[in-house]
Amino acid sequence: MSGFISVDTVRKIYRTRKDTIEAVSGASFNVEQGEFVSILGPSGCGKSTLLMMCAGLEGLTSGHINVAGTKVEGPRQSVGIMFQDNTLLPWKTVLENILFPVRIQKKPMEHYRARAEELIEMVGLRGFADKKPHQLSGGMKQRVSICRALVTDPDILLMDEPFSALDAMTRDEMNDALLDISDRYKKTSLFVTHSIREAVYLSDRVLVMTRRPATVVADIRIPFQRPRGRDVGDTAKFNEICAHLRGLIEHERTPGWTGQMARAG
Amino acid sequence: MSPDRMKAGWLPENVYAVVLPSLAAIMVVGGWQYAVTSFQISPVIFPAPLDMAMAAPGIIGDLFHHAGITGGEALLAFVLSCLIGVALALMLTVSDAVFEAFYPNLVVFQIVPKIALAPMFTFWLGIASTSRISYAILISFFPVMLSTMSGLKRADANTLRLCRSVGASKWQTLLHVQIPYALPYFFSGAKVAATMATIGVVTGELISANAGLGFYIIRAQSLGQTPKVFCAIVALCVLGLLVYILPVRAEAMARRWWRGGNG
Ligand SMILES: Nc1ncnc2c1ncn2[C@@H]1O[C@H](COP(=O)(O)OP(=O)(O)O)[C@@H](O)[C@H]1O
Ligand SMILES: [Mg+2]
Repeated sequence: MSGFISVDTVRKIYRTRKDTIEAVSGASFNVEQGEFVSILGPSGCGKSTLLMMCAGLEGLTSGHINVAGTKVEGPRQSVGIMFQDNTLLPWKTVLENILFPVRIQKKPMEHYRARAEELIEMVGLRGFADKKPHQLSGGMKQRVSICRALVTDPDILLMDEPFSALDAMTRDEMNDALLDISDRYKKTSLFVTHSIREAVYLSDRVLVMTRRPATVVADIRIPFQRPRGRDVGDTAKFNEICAHLRGLIEHERTPGWTGQMARAG
Repeated sequence: MSPDRMKAGWLPENVYAVVLPSLAAIMVVGGWQYAVTSFQISPVIFPAPLDMAMAAPGIIGDLFHHAGITGGEALLAFVLSCLIGVALALMLTVSDAVFEAFYPNLVVFQIVPKIALAPMFTFWLGIASTSRISYAILISFFPVMLSTMSGLKRADANTLRLCRSVGASKWQTLLHVQIPYALPYFFSGAKVAATMATIGVVTGELISANAGLGFYIIRAQSLGQTPKVFCAIVALCVLGLLVYILPVRAEAMARRWWRGGNG
């Protein structure tokens, strides 16, 4: 029941006019302070829902989520969020986009501008502060999103498939950038992805979720030292872990007869 | 973006853009002149371009005078319908209760053939410009409202989540995200409104007025001065274009702000 992020038997039922969907069913896990944890699971299993509940943007049907020792009951401001789409505001420059949370929270602009500039430098966007989003590539836009997520120095970082829309090469670059960032800022992070290799490469732990209604079926510790380099991906151990995870996920994709009958009924 | 291509293509492309439409227009006007002359149609029934050209010099002062009155009213109606359209769009977006209560009614109201109401405005508000301006607003606020509303909904679910997560209030989200997103949509509605406002004022003038291009057209027609009617219609086209240019220019300015000067 400890952990910086603690998710305790969380259940989420969406009620729409037509039907009720049980998106998450009794999920429990902990994330320690400074830990980077990935969530793998089939599409539509409730990963985004879980992340939004951790951010306080979606209510729980039952169970508890605690972050930094306090119960999450509404949007908590000390959260950095990244989505698959970059959600940058097209009329704002890179710097203005990064400072958007500061502006909204009416924090001292001068102090945070220095931090924003440091972050811009950190993600390799020096010289782009005054560009607008349409002048940037997809990867650069996600770099801006990372900066925006980090600018107010939140205590947790929630990322929902942030690199899924990028091409393979850009994605590799973004993974390296994210590794650097998590080594430097040591944010407690939850990272949703469909890529097993990405999850293993970035994470301290990988959680595997079942199809809907989601629960956590496996919690795998990734043993590689930090800082990591790309060569980690070539090791036998890395591929072994990936194969193990793939096995777990494929097992989840092909439920036995009983599973199907239960769902049909 | 690519100055090289623009410079290389400047001459021929612009020549095409000017020469081809001009040629087409000259052919149409020439054909019109030819048809009217060869069928010996009376200028009272259907004036030829030359009849109009001969009538124009004597009435140019009159046309300017009446166009000024129509233009002023159309402009005022246009600005007011933008304000009303935007205010309604904001109210309907901010409050779900207001939306539920009024939106279906506004849509039904939009189906009413409002042209049929034009004589009523004279009956209610008399021959003064208030009557024509009110009628013009009635037929032109709706496109502004509708397009602004759809623009205010343009911010996607994740952008709105981001706003909530950084602690933005409803008003902050509106001001910093939804309104800027709505801007291009507002302008497309405003362009429709600019046309409708001019049409609305002229419609009112055709029914009852003591000045304005619509009034001028009715008077000239009743005196059998058809070439003057046609000249006034040309003046109306020019006027309509001038009112229309307003939102087009404003839109261009907004676009520069959106996309940045060096983009
Ligand atoms: N706001 C909502 N209302 C109703 N159903 C929803 C809502 N959000 C998500 N769902 C449903 O909940 C399930 C889980 O969705 P999601 O958390 O987005 O899954 P994932 O991110 O793993 O793909 C899906 O079946 C989805 O259709
Ligand atoms: Mg998702």
